Amino acid sequence: MVMEIPFDVANIAGPEIGGTAPPEVIGSYITSAKRPLLVVGSELLRGDFFLDIAIEIGKKGIPIAATGHSMKGFVEKEYTENVTYYNLHELTNCLRDPNWKGLDGGGNYDFVIFYGILYYYASQMLSCIKNFATEPLMRAVSIDQYYHPNARMSFTNISPRMEEEYKDMLRKLVGSIKR
Amino acid sequence: MEEIKKGGIFAIPELQNVRINIGEIIEEEEEWEPMGPHPMPRIATLRDWDFKLLNRYKPFYAPLCDMCCLCTYGKCDLTGNKKGACGIRMDAQQGRIVLLACLIGCSAHCAHGRHLLHDMINKFGRDVPIDFGPKVNIEAPLTRLVCGIKPKTIGDYDKVFSYIEEQIVQLADALHTGQEGSYMDFESKTLHMGMLDSLSKEAADILQIACYGMPTSFAGDGPDVPLVDVGIGTIDTNKPVIIVIGHNVPPAADIGVYLTENRLDDKVELGGICCTSIDTTRVYNKAKVVSALGRQLRVLRAGIADVVVIDEQCIRADVLELCQHTHSPMIATNDKAMHGLVDRTDDDPDKIVDDLVSGRVLGVVILEPDQVGEVAVRTALQVDKKRKGLSYILSDAEFTRYVNDCIQCGSCTLACPNGLRIGKANKSAAAGNVKPLADLFDICVGCGRCEQVCKKHIPIVDVVTKAAYPQLKAEKGKMRVGRGPVWDSEIRDVGAPLVLGTIPGIIAPIGCGNYPNGTKDAWLIVKEFAERNYIVTLTGCMAIDCALWKDEEGKTLYEAHHGGFDAGGVLNIGSCVSNAHIHDAAIKVASIFAGRPLRGNYEEIADYILSRVGACGVAWGAMSQKAASIATGFNRLGVPAVVGPHGVKYRRAFMGRPDIKEDWTLIDATDGSKVYVEPGPQDLLVACETVEEAMPMMAKLCIRPSDTDRGRSIKLTHYIDLSLKYLNTYPPDWHLFVRTASDLPIATRNELLKKLEDEQSWKIDWKTKKIVEGPIRAYNPSFNPTNLERLIRRKK
Ligand code: SF4
Ligand code: SF4
Ligand code: SF4
Repeated sequence: MVMEIPFDVANIAGPEIGGTAPPEVIGSYITSAKRPLLVVGSELLRGDFFLDIAIEIGKKGIPIAATGHSMKGFVEKEYTENVTYYNLHELTNCLRDPNWKGLDGGGNYDFVIFYGILYYYASQMLSCIKNFATEPLMRAVSIDQYYHPNARMSFTNISPRMEEEYKDMLRKLVGSIKR
Repeated sequence: MEEIKKGGIFAIPELQNVRINIGEIIEEEEEWEPMGPHPMPRIATLRDWDFKLLNRYKPFYAPLCDMCCLCTYGKCDLTGNKKGACGIRMDAQQGRIVLLACLIGCSAHCAHGRHLLHDMINKFGRDVPIDFGPKVNIEAPLTRLVCGIKPKTIGDYDKVFSYIEEQIVQLADALHTGQEGSYMDFESKTLHMGMLDSLSKEAADILQIACYGMPTSFAGDGPDVPLVDVGIGTIDTNKPVIIVIGHNVPPAADIGVYLTENRLDDKVELGGICCTSIDTTRVYNKAKVVSALGRQLRVLRAGIADVVVIDEQCIRADVLELCQHTHSPMIATNDKAMHGLVDRTDDDPDKIVDDLVSGRVLGVVILEPDQVGEVAVRTALQVDKKRKGLSYILSDAEFTRYVNDCIQCGSCTLACPNGLRIGKANKSAAAGNVKPLADLFDICVGCGRCEQVCKKHIPIVDVVTKAAYPQLKAEKGKMRVGRGPVWDSEIRDVGAPLVLGTIPGIIAPIGCGNYPNGTKDAWLIVKEFAERNYIVTLTGCMAIDCALWKDEEGKTLYEAHHGGFDAGGVLNIGSCVSNAHIHDAAIKVASIFAGRPLRGNYEEIADYILSRVGACGVAWGAMSQKAASIATGFNRLGVPAVVGPHGVKYRRAFMGRPDIKEDWTLIDATDGSKVYVEPGPQDLLVACETVEEAMPMMAKLCIRPSDTDRGRSIKLTHYIDLSLKYLNTYPPDWHLFVRTASDLPIATRNELLKKLEDEQSWKIDWKTKKIVEGPIRAYNPSFNPTNLERLIRRKK
């Protein structure tokens, strides 16, 4: 069996590390969520395509927490329907609390999708979720171009040379989220 | 007759204030202020205060490692908040690790101070007065506050260090397997450690100021301190160059003295990296600041130094190897960092110089600071001749070969803390465009991890340096000399506007250079807030890094802004230990402006600062354990801090929850009534992903319940404006900070009232333009906020 290397090689947390999966699998995993939340970060602003993918997921009825300064992109695209600015640290602080009311007052989420977030920042927040958002269990995946051992599922590391392939994966992922 | 008291102390009834302690005579004490409730607090003394903070700002943990391997029961897997074999849970284990980090940080500051005390007493005696000039009467706010001691001479610091050292040992004991089991108590201990850290820093800086005559409040000091050169490009490599690295100034100061006495100050360059460089410029006006910590590897690799002198802290562990590579002899001057070299203290300087120049030894240890100057300078003069003509920057041919060798395997990117795409940049350089590589220079934090994994053995750091060489040679900035304490007279002038909010806040960029995106962010933070009339107080690496950048007129921020503690000031307070003066400024606001007693009165002063002094630290590149203890020290005193994204790896944060109303209950000290307030400050420690996000966050964290309506309207203006500027949106929580219509800026009041009506369903009386219903609380100009029941003046 070939083990994927964390994007930051030394970022090996311990015995419980997440697996890698193709886009369709992650997509149907997301489909299984009752109350999913898409958490996006500033790396989303590196290109229109990536922002559009977030918007497409948002249009499927999955609310978006825009962390870092990613909000800027949504405002420019005039898509703010179900997008709320939130600091990622503060957001994760809420996510770990089962009594949190959520962005819409409807309660905490059972599933979070991390996307477009600085690798090491995302990794630490995923660590908090993995270790402390356990009752009830919150599932967390990443759809960035990195392997994230602290997420339950993520892609493999994808080199910048494979950007087109990565874009294709994101398209497939969006296509396989059924809601 | 004398009366024998506990602990071998004699009290003589006829001489009321004289007590004799066996082995030590306690002299008559001047009654300068009645003793407060908590002099020299022990671990549990301020626990109630800590728990008040921790209940509002609940410790948040993001483990960097899910296991514990501290004892042989282990390794234990704690994933999912499981318990280890000793019974400790993941949350408490994280608290334990943070305590350990702060223990290391605080020990570094305390041991540095103790070391200084030994050296200073040896050199100058115990009786050097602590006199900071006509404008600084409260010479040592933290010492007075924590210890209840008003130090008169440096010898008085013996007691202070003994206290800190004992507490550090007690706290270290709590780390042992089978001791503390509660994360809340671990955090209370961490806050205690943070307070000791701040005290250690103050003590260390006071000693060096007193003994070396560093700037305080005499003529030419304070706002008027001179500018010094900053940047690799400011070093004249045609002259012999000595580079000092670290944090403990006496050896570097001795080099300055030797150069001056031997009229070599124009013939030899003395430059430094990290805090020693800042402190050297406080004692020797020809010294230059080569770089902050982040460029250490690259400065050493570039071979600028003819001699490298290290003291303590933030020195690369492979410094000797690096010096060997560039044929630069090294002198280690501190027993905490000797790098395997032979101790030659008290040896004949001729012999040492000869051994160093001939290359018979790579370096030496000299532990007596006053012996360093002569050896370093004489060695530099001779080594310079031998090294003339040698270049350690890659040749064009080498550069081309290396960038062509790169197979774009990506291993370096996986090893790089900032995930830099070096392969891609190499490829573009191989095709003739070096810009992408050159652009990496500033974003790279200079760790060298990439080179460890490159299978093609490409010296990546050197390749990037070569690509950026033209811009490096041009790197010439200016920084104000570290000014030391904020003056009492300045506090008198700005105390009211700060507490009322009309000066929107103090922004304190401090600490290391582990930035996510380069040094320019340090500059941007300072520029943005200074231009908005905040007071910007800098120390350490951020004080250096922000000096590397210039505005359109070619001015650095230190040249474009005044250096006074007033609206729009950009103050270099000094090195890392000097940042105690930022704590001190907040403490002096409570003491001088509000007349609160200081002596042994930590809890009350922290309570005052938390609710009234709009200050926010920013450690954008926080990296070391010292940065952890520094931030925690700010937090216990009621000052929040924003860290850069790498700061999440400290594992612990302190964030409040505005959605939990009960967490934001304060007491009105006037009548004891309970008041629900807006979340100001919302967090004590929080990370931002990008500098754009950090801007409005810092403005928000300057909001305090005590703001007047005018002050609040100014703070809200900046909060909203920065959010619009950098996030393109109104902050989703701005309405939480509105108590009354006059809290809203006049220029946009109508528009904002409309938003409150439409988006928050607040009731507005449009005739009077007043808010009828909506805010968390009404504005009460005589609100006297406190968290401490004992401060209630009269109960309702
Ligand atoms: S200290 Fe406790 S958690 Fe750590 S290895 Fe020992 S038993 Fe396990
Ligand atoms: S590790 Fe070496 S060969 Fe691989 S991409 Fe980086 S520089 Fe190129
Ligand atoms: S030296 Fe620079 S490029 Fe290399 S791993 Fe460290 S930060 Fe990245």
